[in-house]
This record gives sequence, structure tokens and C-alpha cells, in this order.
Amino acid sequence: MTAARTEPIMSALLVTLLLLPGAAAPAAGAPSPDALLRDSDRARGGLEEGVTWDVEVEAREGGNVTRRAFLVKARGDDALAEALSPPRHKGEVILFNDRTMWFVKPGLRKPVSISARQRLSGEAANGDITSTRYARDYEGTVTGEEDVDGEPAFTLELKARARSATYDRIRYWISKRRHLGLKAEFLSVGGDVLKRATFEYGNRASLRGTTFEFVSRMTIRDAAASGNVTVLTFGPPRAERHSPAIFNVNDLVR
Amino acid sequence: MKGAWRLAARDLARNGRRTAATGLAVALGFAALVVLGAYGTAAERFLRANAVYVQRGGHVMVFREGGLRKAALDPARYQLRPSEQRAIRAALEADPRVELTAPFLRGMGLAGNGCQSMPFVALGVDPALDRRIIEHPEVLATVPDLARPLRGRALGDYPGSEGPIGLAGGLARLLGKTRLHDDVGGAPVSPVRCDAPELAVQLARDANVQLAASTYDGALSAVDAEVVQVFRGTSRETEDALLLAPLDLLQRLYDTDGVTYVAAFLRDARDTHAVAADVARRLQAAGLRVSVHTFDDFAANPFYAGTMDFFRGMTLFILVLVLAVASLAMLNATTLNVVERMREIGTLRAIGYRRRDVRRQFLREAAILAAFALCAGLLLALAAIAAFNGAHVMIAAPGIPGEVWIFLSPTAGVIVGFAIVFVTALLAATALAVRRFARRRVADLLVTAAG
Repeated sequence: MTAARTEPIMSALLVTLLLLPGAAAPAAGAPSPDALLRDSDRARGGLEEGVTWDVEVEAREGGNVTRRAFLVKARGDDALAEALSPPRHKGEVILFNDRTMWFVKPGLRKPVSISARQRLSGEAANGDITSTRYARDYEGTVTGEEDVDGEPAFTLELKARARSATYDRIRYWISKRRHLGLKAEFLSVGGDVLKRATFEYGNRASLRGTTFEFVSRMTIRDAAASGNVTVLTFGPPRAERHSPAIFNVNDLVR
Repeated sequence: MKGAWRLAARDLARNGRRTAATGLAVALGFAALVVLGAYGTAAERFLRANAVYVQRGGHVMVFREGGLRKAALDPARYQLRPSEQRAIRAALEADPRVELTAPFLRGMGLAGNGCQSMPFVALGVDPALDRRIIEHPEVLATVPDLARPLRGRALGDYPGSEGPIGLAGGLARLLGKTRLHDDVGGAPVSPVRCDAPELAVQLARDANVQLAASTYDGALSAVDAEVVQVFRGTSRETEDALLLAPLDLLQRLYDTDGVTYVAAFLRDARDTHAVAADVARRLQAAGLRVSVHTFDDFAANPFYAGTMDFFRGMTLFILVLVLAVASLAMLNATTLNVVERMREIGTLRAIGYRRRDVRRQFLREAAILAAFALCAGLLLALAAIAAFNGAHVMIAAPGIPGEVWIFLSPTAGVIVGFAIVFVTALLAATALAVRRFARRRVADLLVTAAG
């Protein structure tokens, strides 16, 4: 086949690819992936200042519904999630020290080092309930643009920088205008979609005189079409000063 | 008739060197097979005792329908609830062939030492019943090294302690738990500074570990436990992960009152399939949706079933090889014998021996030779087995961590079986060699011999 004969075919293929909405290339001058992730993290608790919020986790699995509530305190790379209900889990604590996670419960003699990937409740992993630090934990690439429920968004491919990250790979849609994470697909190392999540931002946070949108709901669905759904409902965030001691695992078990 | 046997013996003695050479080939071949059979019997008993008692699978295992494959993925759905456990155990214990039944809970999670956690695969046991299982005479006779803890004592020796557990050697090493509950003498559990340079010393100060896992309803859970024994993993894969715990401790961890399976331990392993079929029928009639597996079921015990399949294939191959060599030696010796004794055969035919009588005479000789050779082979094999067992040979058995004592156990069934096969092959070889010459006419025999 000669170059003259292949040229029209290649041109047609190129035009087709460019017209495909899912494969749209990022516009020239798109923000850097790190900047997009930092902005979107802020709306999901990834803040340097102390912040506190409540989160309720409702998991529907195979006809069973379980509900759990946590009080989350976060500051920088540290976060602490304390179980509020049901009563038999009250007082249990999940502590995030940088990339290390600990589980402590009343009466337990030593803290247990656990994984962010471990299932917390329903489809939610431990790493889902606290502050999101995708800019720190993942290496992002902007791969295109796509509308999510009518809102223009950048699509990003995120790859975990370390095994301690909650997921190996994430496909993430970040609003072009608001720089908020709108939708995510959590993938296995092999690229299979394990779970899908959507985010809503009905809360407002005010820090250092700035008010910004804050996550109010995260809905996680099992990609295997089992019908399992877990909804995380986030309460309004409150700016609070947190002592470093509350994030010290040795102080937690004393 | 007595005279015919005497004559056969004399004929054998007449060509002593050839008879001895043929007999030696047969004896050595038979001895090799008896030793191989003893090894096979020992290996089967070893693997069976490992699967049934050490791995606590029992001869017969009863799961919720589909539970064998799916309980690990969906333990809540495939667990056996207390009422089902009672019904299954009652059905099994009503059978006089069943010696003991016990419930078991399998689970996974993380074992922590205060600094780091390692994944574990746990088996929950009833400590009192477990003592009977692990101290069963079959275990003590076959796999005493595998069943005995490497260090520490049985879980049942700590009835008042909270959460006495055993760790496989590899897991204990990974967690830095070099001292057991008995070694530390109830020392208080002290906090660990994970960044301290003498972390290993801190970890070894107590025998306390934490077990964390998701409960059956999906919540995170953790319990304290005390390491009271270190045991050898039942396979290389589980050496770094296996954990043995009291049933109630694991049930607390997973927040359940269910178990994964109920196992039945039989008085005689040969009843396994009959008991499994009977209990499956009875439980089905009672409306219980369960699946019944036996220890030699590939799905339940792939290591046992796969190894035994391989071993049977290998034994058959060696049997065919040894029989071929022995039969050819016999065929060769008999053919030479017949050629040298053509005149004698012709004379016997001339004085009234029928072809059948001639054939029988040679078969008598073969039978006497086989009897002596097999007896000699058996004595040789028993002497070799006694010497081997006396040497207390330790081997690295495939798939099992560490070394185990291999004890050859010859059984009458195997010896008689091989002897029957051997005698049949030798007589067939003799009959084949004699057949052509016995058919010849008397005159031909005499003329050929004279020529």
C-alpha cells in the first residue's frame, strides 16, 4: 500500500478520533494535573489547616443495609476518624499518620496497622472516609475532556505513587470551571473497573476568609453490577485547631 | 503329583547357575516393588494424616452448598449457622463409623504486633476437640513431627487465657514474636515505639498480638491474642500466614456464631466414601442444602489428590518396567531350558506325556522358581526397609516446610498384590516359551535334539 493511498485513511481515522467525545484531547493551556488535583483535594478535605466533619456511611449490599457514622478530624497529612455509631463500634478509631493507617478500639492493647485499601463498610474503603490527598498519593495525567452531567470536565488518569494508596489506578473527572472531582472510576492494576463513584458538593467551607465548595455526598457503586451501593454523606466542615497529639498513635492507646 | 513337583525341582537344580540368575532378577525386581509399595503406603498415610488431622479437614467435610469454593469470598452467605451445625453433627454422630465430629471456621485478616501487620489465614478450632484430633493415634504413628508444635503447648492448655493462638513459624518470625506466653511469664503488655532502634527486643517482650479483620457485616474489628505455640505450616504457601485460634475468638473477630464446615473423623478411612454418601442422603432428606466432600476429593485437598495421582502413575510405570524385565528374564531362561531339553521333552512325549503335561511340568518349575525368588525378594525388601527405618531418614517432602521423617510401612495387601501380579506374569512368560515346542511332533523333537 502506498503512502498516497494510506493518507486519506489516516486522515479519516484522525478526524474520527478527534470527534469522539470520550477521546477528546485536552485543550491547549489546560492546567497541570497536580494543580487540578490539589484544588479538587481541597474540596474533599485535603487541607493543611485543621478541619472537622461528620460522615455517615450507608451501605446496601445484597438486600442488607448497614449504617455507620464517624467524626473525622484532619490536618495536613494526618486524619483521625472516630466511630460514633452503631453503639457497639463507638470509640473505635482509624488514624491516618501520613501514609500509615492504624485501627484502635477500646480495650485493644496495641494499635493495629491496617491498609487504606481495606474495606471499611460496603463499597467504601478506609481511605474513602477521610481527607483525600490525590495530589500527594497519585501521579496524574490529563488525558482528555468530557462532560459529566452537562458540566465540562478534564479527564485524568491517576497512578498510585506507592502501594499505601487506597487504589492502584483512578480515572478521575475534574470540573473545568470549579476544579472539583465530579466522577471517579477505581481500577485494578490490570485496568479493570472495580468501583465507580460520583461526588456532590452541597457543603461550604470557610478557611482564612475564603469560602469554597466542600463535598457533601460520595456515592460508590460496585462495577460488577451487583447492585451494591454505598453512600457517604458528609456534614458541613468546621475549621478547628487540632493538637498534634491526637494524631499520635502512641497517645491513642494509653 | 508329588513326583511331578520333585521332578520340577530337580530340573531347576540341574541348571543351577541359570536358575539362580533368573531367580535373582525376579527377587530383585520383587524387592524393588515391595520397597516402592511400602514407600507409597507410607506416603499415602502421611499425606492422608496431614490432610485429615493436621490440616483438620477430617475424612468427610460438610459445607453449606457451594461453601468449599465460595466461603472465602462470601463467608456470611456460606457459613453454617448453629442449628445447621447441630443437625449435621447429629447426623454424622449417629453413624457408628464416625469417631469424632468438630466444627471449624476459616477466615482471613491481619495480625499486628503494634508496629506492622501481616496477612493471616486462620483456622478456628474447638480447643478440647482439637486436642483429640492432633493427639489421635494415627497422627502419632504417622506424622508426629508435623502435628507437634515446634514450641509451646496446645491451645487447650490455656482454658483461662484470653485468646490463646498458635502461629506458623514463618508468621511468628515476620511478627518478631520470638517468645511465647510461657516464656514471658505473663509480663504486662508494653507499648511499642516503632521507630526505636531496639524494636526487635521490644516486640519480643510480650507474646501479645492483635488480629484485625472485617466482620461478616463489613465492619472493621480487632481482638487481642496471646501466642502460646508456634507450629509448622501445613504447606510452604501457608508457612508465613497460617494461624490457629480458638473458635470463639475467631467468631468474636468476625462477629458471627457460624462456622465454615463441620468435619467428621472416621474410625476407618476405608469407610470415607460410604459415610459421605450416607450423610449426604440423610442431610438432603432433612432439607439441609449442604455439600459433602471427602479428603481425597481434588477440590477439597488438591495437594493430596494430585500427589497421589502422580504417585499412582509413577508406580504403575515402574511396575510395568520391572515386570517386563522379570518376564523377559523368565522367557529367556525358559526358552534356553526348553531348547536344551528337547530330547527329554521328546522322550516324555514318547512314553505317554501329553502336550498339556509337558507345559504343566515347565509351569511347575516356574512356580517353584517364582516362590523361592519372591520369598528371597521379600526378605531382601524387609531387610532394606528395616535398615531404612532404623536410619531415621529425614526428607524434605514436596510442599511441606522443613524436613519430615519418612517411615516405610509395608502392608500385607500390597505385598500379596504385587506377588500375584509377579507370579501371573512369570507363568505367562513360561507358558509362552513352552507353547511352541510343546506343539511339535514327538519325532521332530527327537530328531531336532539329535541333530
